[in-house]
Amino acid sequence: MKEEKLIKILFFIATLFVLSFCLIPFLYMLIISFCKSWDIFSLKEIEFTFSNYIKILKDPSLHCLDYIKNSLIISGISAIFSVFVATLGAYAISRLDFPFKFSILLFILASSMFPQISVIGFLFKLMKILNFINTYQALILPYISWSIPISLWIMVSYFSKIPKDLDKSALVDGCSWFQAFLKIILPLTKPGLVSAGLLSFLFSFNEFLFALILTIDYRARTVPVGIAMFQGLHGELPWGSIMAFTALSLLPVIIIVTLFQKHIMQGLTRGAIKE
Amino acid sequence: MKTYYKEDLKTSFIFLLPVFILTLFFIFIPVIATFINSFFKDIIFLNKRFVLFQNYFYLLSDSGFWNSLKFTIIFFIVSVPLEIFLGIIFTLVLNYEIPYKGFIRVCVLLPWAIPAAISARLWELIYNYSYGLANFLLLKIRIINEPINWLETGFSAFVALVIADVWKTTPFVAIILLAGLQAIPKEIYYQAVIDRANFLQRFFKITLPLLKPAIIIALLFRTIDAVRIFDLIYVLTKGGPGGATTSLSLYAYKYYITGDFGYASSISVILFIISFIASIIYLRVGKFRQEVL
Repeated sequence: MKEEKLIKILFFIATLFVLSFCLIPFLYMLIISFCKSWDIFSLKEIEFTFSNYIKILKDPSLHCLDYIKNSLIISGISAIFSVFVATLGAYAISRLDFPFKFSILLFILASSMFPQISVIGFLFKLMKILNFINTYQALILPYISWSIPISLWIMVSYFSKIPKDLDKSALVDGCSWFQAFLKIILPLTKPGLVSAGLLSFLFSFNEFLFALILTIDYRARTVPVGIAMFQGLHGELPWGSIMAFTALSLLPVIIIVTLFQKHIMQGLTRGAIKE
Repeated sequence: MKTYYKEDLKTSFIFLLPVFILTLFFIFIPVIATFINSFFKDIIFLNKRFVLFQNYFYLLSDSGFWNSLKFTIIFFIVSVPLEIFLGIIFTLVLNYEIPYKGFIRVCVLLPWAIPAAISARLWELIYNYSYGLANFLLLKIRIINEPINWLETGFSAFVALVIADVWKTTPFVAIILLAGLQAIPKEIYYQAVIDRANFLQRFFKITLPLLKPAIIIALLFRTIDAVRIFDLIYVLTKGGPGGATTSLSLYAYKYYITGDFGYASSISVILFIISFIASIIYLRVGKFRQEVL
């Protein structure tokens, strides 16, 4: 019994450690974003203010809302297309018979491990020729492609759990492949679709290098680049505004993680481990 | 000889076509183009010229390249084991039956879910010389007597990067390990309790050995990611001070933006080969076998 108590205390301490390790940077961000001065340690009392948020929302030259809008649109469209395309592919891989099936799957999966830097030279030239630099397309196309491997892998693992007899009987009943896919398989893989969609969305929302190279200004620039480039007027960084902007742009991520924690964890482990 | 139905071949080709087109144009062809480009002297506004291995010969005598290779390797050797170690602690906490389990999981997921460039900004403020949290806390508990200029010396900048990276990616390790942990049958633990094995014995004799496959997978995922690290360093230290924290990705990037595409390509190729070897090992060890289909 003594040991059990000790373990309980140990786990309590470990939990506190884990929580504070994960949350302190976020709390610090919130505190600074709501403070009048960001030199909070030398002050006797901390003054609460909304002015940082008002400033980044009101000042059109900062383009904070443009960046957030760009990010949401680009990531949203990329996620939808990535899941759609990957679902079609995963269905073929798990249900149809064709040569080099496993090699094709491995090949596509391996591609997600390539370093992004090894494609930007070509991508930049391609987008320049297509006149896509600083447009949504310039980011959406690579984002769909780079999130296909994880979406495909998640969908393959979901499809392979559904018994094959199910769609076979539909085919016997006179459904076409496409009808069988749409009416029987798709509804059963809803959790997979959600997981794949969320992970693709987060991938695109977080991507930095492509956005850095393929966009120029607020018309297509996304949040990570916008925040990385946020500069003060006179050398000194306006930390209050930066943290307010950061807090605001993290809102979609925080909402998604809170609502879909289970789907995200499931997607991640399906993407990594096959049980 | 296996025969295939014509109808099957046609349908699967149509279903896979979008995947093929997209991955071909935005992943595979760009990679091949980079390979080819690394044999050319390709500087913007100048004529492209075939030079065979000249870029690679330059690499051999380029101290900047060797420094960034060295940094990249040391960075992953230091940060990845730390992440695995902390990841195990995180996993045990996540797996423990405590109230507010969902809340704790959300908190742990958050650092992983946010953009690396943004987490770099959070840490940049924490490391700030005059009003950063790091100096404030260390001064308060009297570990240091005067504030540290975190990002100004090579060593402290390295430490700063490792801490920020560990914060960002330990959650990912923990989630991968959690899946491995939950796959361990509970009966083994009941038996161990009956046999009067204490907590530490149970951990080292049962949990750790059975967690090994998951640890290897997390290790390799993290290695591939740590080797190509870019965002965090670009924002937090910009490769400084004096190039001390320049990773291979960042080094290649610096040549890309000056317009020296040929040389940048050769650096990218080296990085690609390193990640490729790592991913082959991953696919081998990760037991990706035909049976998944």
